[in-house]
Amino acid sequence: MKILMFTWEFPPLISGGLGMACYGMVKALLNLGIKIDLVLPTREEVYFPLRDVADVDTLPAVFLDPKKQSTFETRTFLNSSERMDFIGINERPESYFQLAEIRRYAVSLKKEYWLSETVSIEEHDLWQQMTKNLIGEEDLIRKVQEYTLRAERMARMLDYDMIHAHDWLTYPAGMLARKLSSKPLVVHIHATEFDRAGGPGDERIHKIEHAGMTYADKVIAVSQYTAQMIMSRYRIDTGKISIVHNAFTIPEDAVLSKERIFKGPVILFLGRITLQKGPDYFLDMAQRVLQTHPDARFIMAGTGDMSRKLLRRSASLRLKNRFLFTGFLNRKQVESVLRASDIYVLPSVSEPFGISPLEAMAYGITSIISKQSGVAEVIKHAFKIDFWDVDLWVETINHLIEHQDYRAKMGIEGMREVNKIQWDEAAEKIRQIYTSTLADYIRNH
Amino acid sequence: MLNIVFYFQVHQPYRLRHYNVLDIGQGSPMFDDKLNGEVMRKVAEKCYLPTNKLLLELIKEHEGRFKITFSITGTAIEQFKLYSPETLDSFKALVDTGHVELLGETYYHSLAFLYDSNEFLDQVMMHRDLMQQEFGYFTETFRNTELIYQDRLSDLVFEIPGFKTLLTEGVDRVLQWRSPLYAYKNYNKRINLLFKYYQLADDIAFRFSNRDWPEFPLTVEKFVSWIDKLTLNENKGRNQFLNLFMDYETFGEHQWASTGIFDFMRHFPGEVLKNQHLGFAFPKDATDLSNYQQESISFPEPVSWADEERDLSAWLENDMQHNAIETLYELFERVKAKGDPELLKTTRMLSTSDHFYYMCAKYFQDGDVHKYFSPYDSPDQAYIYYINALAELEERLLR
Repeated sequence: MKILMFTWEFPPLISGGLGMACYGMVKALLNLGIKIDLVLPTREEVYFPLRDVADVDTLPAVFLDPKKQSTFETRTFLNSSERMDFIGINERPESYFQLAEIRRYAVSLKKEYWLSETVSIEEHDLWQQMTKNLIGEEDLIRKVQEYTLRAERMARMLDYDMIHAHDWLTYPAGMLARKLSSKPLVVHIHATEFDRAGGPGDERIHKIEHAGMTYADKVIAVSQYTAQMIMSRYRIDTGKISIVHNAFTIPEDAVLSKERIFKGPVILFLGRITLQKGPDYFLDMAQRVLQTHPDARFIMAGTGDMSRKLLRRSASLRLKNRFLFTGFLNRKQVESVLRASDIYVLPSVSEPFGISPLEAMAYGITSIISKQSGVAEVIKHAFKIDFWDVDLWVETINHLIEHQDYRAKMGIEGMREVNKIQWDEAAEKIRQIYTSTLADYIRNH
Repeated sequence: MLNIVFYFQVHQPYRLRHYNVLDIGQGSPMFDDKLNGEVMRKVAEKCYLPTNKLLLELIKEHEGRFKITFSITGTAIEQFKLYSPETLDSFKALVDTGHVELLGETYYHSLAFLYDSNEFLDQVMMHRDLMQQEFGYFTETFRNTELIYQDRLSDLVFEIPGFKTLLTEGVDRVLQWRSPLYAYKNYNKRINLLFKYYQLADDIAFRFSNRDWPEFPLTVEKFVSWIDKLTLNENKGRNQFLNLFMDYETFGEHQWASTGIFDFMRHFPGEVLKNQHLGFAFPKDATDLSNYQQESISFPEPVSWADEERDLSAWLENDMQHNAIETLYELFERVKAKGDPELLKTTRMLSTSDHFYYMCAKYFQDGDVHKYFSPYDSPDQAYIYYINALAELEERLLR
């Protein structure tokens, strides 16, 4: 079976959980013998034919332009980052959660182009819905437009059985590929605009999300929490929705042993500093815990549109040198900060899944996670608290600081538990979804 | 007689490296030796060495009638030794002429006066010892970091034997109708005060190369004629002091050589000394030259020479600055109790006022000046690195 897969993130192109999830999932799918042609928002027009498990790290690439392909083939690269530069993969994609902040020159999409090959009225309406909303001045919308136009060439040129698109940025591409190839489309919901915005968010994105899910043959949600969301907010046919929880497989070269930075207990927030992730609740907890335990250190790891606000507020609360910001961290640095931490907190306001706590637990860190998260459905050995219940968060952190033995015990049990949540199992579920979708599709055509 | 008091501030901080959370406890260096070396060598080449050479020539040429004053911080002296020893030698040559006064200040160019009187006195004594040791000079005049002054400072400085005069900014809201051209006394009449004449000092320091300034270009003749006019209102024979205080880096660094700043300086003393009633003096001369009853003047609130506000807002306005400096001075006591000289030195290097200046987030005209001097992308970055450094400092305390 061969899949044409569209995603916005894949290591080294990674800004959050989407990239991590795609990596683990693709690796496990390859292990099941499924072939994947991966399309990423690269500067150059390339796709990545992944056939072998090892390909997820080496990322073999093919240029659509034969001339460029031959240059690429004959060229020798000193290291992989030089190779990635040539393809045009940024190690740090701009976060796609700050639409309102990015404003650039306007290029609108030609509607006629999109509508030229449509047939049914329903289809026509969905196209309308998608194209009408894929218009904007923002850098990101323009990137999605470009990516979608490029998908057209990929869809015509490549040979595949199914299309799999991750999150709204690639839904237009997935829809177009389905239209051109008449192959079934699976869309994967890692997060909806409601989650990301922590409120209603951008209406254009809702429309694109709705069009994508409606046009798809199958919808995969990363949790029951998300399935509920897409049923109630997007009115998607429940029969189309399957739940496949994310997983976490620790890299083989990971070093799990503790390496402390601070003598006092370290409480970690690791993720994008955006409204969705509840960083302001983390700051509130820190302020109150530090009154009881001034030797504790709070580390806020990551970047996001709320960084500056949080930084200024931490200063105004006079948290001294006890509330620290790391800025953006690469994989190796994430490992270092995990090895130095004792308690992990995820106070997300709305978290479709949340892989990051699984990673923290794999390092034996006791975790406290928001009840408003998908990950809470799959793990037992973590504390689960409503994101808004700061009193309880504070009480729990204080308790864990004061009872080191208990903390260690929870950490070890969490580690054992997470080791059982492997991508292989999730990939097997996805394989079954592929097979049944394909069978349905063949039956109907 | 109008005496021009030319005082130049010579200072270089130890700039912090882009110091991240993951650097803590790794034994990685806190300060950016590479950058500090580069800056020192660049400024030495563009400013210190050529200006010192010029001033030495002028002092010799005018046989003692041209006098200048320096305040050189401890962190600058240390970095001369590390990165540009010839600069230190050239300053020594100037002091050896006997026509140079050296001022006292805090060794680390710190804001200790505002937070920790004992630390302030320690740093002042360290600086006096350094001047004695490097130049064989005993300081008699004091200027606090960035000319920060308030009544309480005069009390502290008075406790240190030998200081008879203090320099500060001629802030309009305090002076009001009074002229900054006379020597005054502090609020309880124990110490002399001299005030920077900021209009004329800033003509050289900030406006010299500004083409939008109506007086551009500033010629020596024009400038001396302005000075001459200042003497017209004085008809009782009282000695006046025209206090032109500025950063030494004005010459060749803030105002590049191509602006003609060196030519201006070369011809300035000669043009002044053509006039019988104009001359040069040291700040320490204030005691002898004040041939009148000096009025006492009170500064209940702190002032400085920075920005339009001439207050403390360049260093102590936003929450980042306050949190950073309060955390630092809380650590000072514990560092001293620990008795580790290396750790104390590091803490003092972190007390240099520049660190807080980089965190200034006033985003208008003055913000530009801050940005020009900052080695970081933003005030937030400066704050993050500084707080990380303080976290490291505290871990070292616990070690």
